[in-house]
Amino acid sequence: MTKKDIRILAFESSCDETSTAVIKNGREIESLIVATQIKSHQRFGGVVPEVASRHHIEVITQITKEALAEANTTWDDIDAIAVTYGPGLVGALLIGVSAAKAASMATGIPLIGVDHIMGHIMAAQLKDEIEYPALALQVSGGHTEIVLMKDPIHFEIVGDTRDDAAGEAYDKIGRVLGVNYPAGKTIDEWAHKGKDTFHFPRAMMEDDDYDFSFSGLKSAFINTCHHADQIHEKLDKYDLAASFQASVVDVLSHKTIRAIKEYKPKTFILGGGVAANHGLRDRLAEEIEKLPADIKPKMILPDLKLCGDNAAMIGAAAYNLYKAGKFSDENLNADPSLELPYAESMLK
Amino acid sequence: MKILSITTATNHLSVALNDGDKIFEKNEEDHRNHSEHLDPLINELLRENNLTLKDIDRFAVAEGPGSYTGLRIGITTAKMFASILNKDLVGVSTLAALANGVSDGVIVSELDARNKNFFAGVYRKVDGKLENLVPDGHYHIDDLINKVKELNLPDQVIFVGSSIDKHHDEIAELLGSDNFVQAESDNQIHAGEIGKLALNKEAVDPDKMVPKYLRRTQAEIDWHNKTGKAFGSDSDYVEEV
Repeated sequence: MTKKDIRILAFESSCDETSTAVIKNGREIESLIVATQIKSHQRFGGVVPEVASRHHIEVITQITKEALAEANTTWDDIDAIAVTYGPGLVGALLIGVSAAKAASMATGIPLIGVDHIMGHIMAAQLKDEIEYPALALQVSGGHTEIVLMKDPIHFEIVGDTRDDAAGEAYDKIGRVLGVNYPAGKTIDEWAHKGKDTFHFPRAMMEDDDYDFSFSGLKSAFINTCHHADQIHEKLDKYDLAASFQASVVDVLSHKTIRAIKEYKPKTFILGGGVAANHGLRDRLAEEIEKLPADIKPKMILPDLKLCGDNAAMIGAAAYNLYKAGKFSDENLNADPSLELPYAESMLK
Repeated sequence: MKILSITTATNHLSVALNDGDKIFEKNEEDHRNHSEHLDPLINELLRENNLTLKDIDRFAVAEGPGSYTGLRIGITTAKMFASILNKDLVGVSTLAALANGVSDGVIVSELDARNKNFFAGVYRKVDGKLENLVPDGHYHIDDLINKVKELNLPDQVIFVGSSIDKHHDEIAELLGSDNFVQAESDNQIHAGEIGKLALNKEAVDPDKMVPKYLRRTQAEIDWHNKTGKAFGSDSDYVEEV
């Protein structure tokens, strides 16, 4: 007898992308719809929460139908409805949560609430099989975390940023360089054309924990630019980008490699919007390659199109929760500050 | 025809089943925790009437004005129900629903929008039939009272809404205390009234329904004032990639 396929329809609306997807057996994307609002928020230089919420509700029913149609499926074939319920912008999250709950009520299909960060990490599952224990570096506009997973549903934070997220720092220094939000991609491109001539600080790099701090780097960068302005000196934007990126990548890869040496995961995953950064991808691949064979983990870099927010990764994470029988009920609410649990070593 | 109605436009959560002349309504003061309470309340209402969502012919929802986040919870829910079950969807003005709960007369229906501003509309109710006299909008108290005065009404105007108590003295001063009364009402939006008004309204495409906020966001207003560029339509800004 063949095993029955499990199909999950997933919703994601935590920030400025409204997305739906149908995922088969937690591994295969049957459809993925992403409606992005970047053009709207570029008017304001960053995401305006109320505007984001207004855009989400405009497209939600339409993209639900599209996800089913593109997967060539109907509600009858769907085994669970998944939704990001946090962390994120509360008004934005509420569109996905309300839609998923209404869909679950209207169809009788069970509901699964998914942590957005768990989703980002599980984008890797759509690329390759994850062997546990696994370790992830999750880097985005809102988060910079090292996460340890002993199995597909138990996630623990072992390192976190004390102030700005890495992606946030990219957007802030992007503004100083006159790069439109979101700045990550352009800074990454510029960095490849320049050299690390400014030697910005590598905060907390030699500390024996796995925490990060990027606000000092951001300030050093801004001060350097302002000082140059005052003395009418023109700085090379490529070298500035390269120097900034070198500091970020040095700290992220240094701490990640140390965490791999301590926790000895079978799989290493890079997740989140900044996982699309070529400088970071290349450096981590290079450093992991240098590790001794007995502790060298398999490395999964998610597809570039799955680094940003999308519902496919939520469907992948939901499949693991489905297998574990972790369902949500009709009073599921958005939780804007939802956090994965911290490892005990982080709580001391 | 069985109509299921929802309002999440204000602090007051209300759902109702209108079936012919019968109205079954459930209300909850949940302090804007609508996301947690709306679906359980609908399920309770359906269970007590031995119905499921599939038995509903038409979904109706308060489409605005009101709390932006609140409106979106109810409207998203109603849109999804109608879209998935292939049933009618009808949007009803929050202010019309509020006015419809009041006795016959000319009714100023309002929600507090802070700093002496209201979301308000003026309605006339004759033999239980509601007619709009001043369109729903975002008005400063002075503008609203001027609009009422311009109607040259022979009778007292009835005020209903969340901030009448707060602004009673000011309205009296601007309009004259003999010229208005407060409605004998709990000043809340009731889903049963939405159901009544939804009976004869034309159904809309669920994909197209969005809240009637009656106000642009501050970010858009600031951007428009700074750049002089046109606001543009929603479809200019959201694209599938």
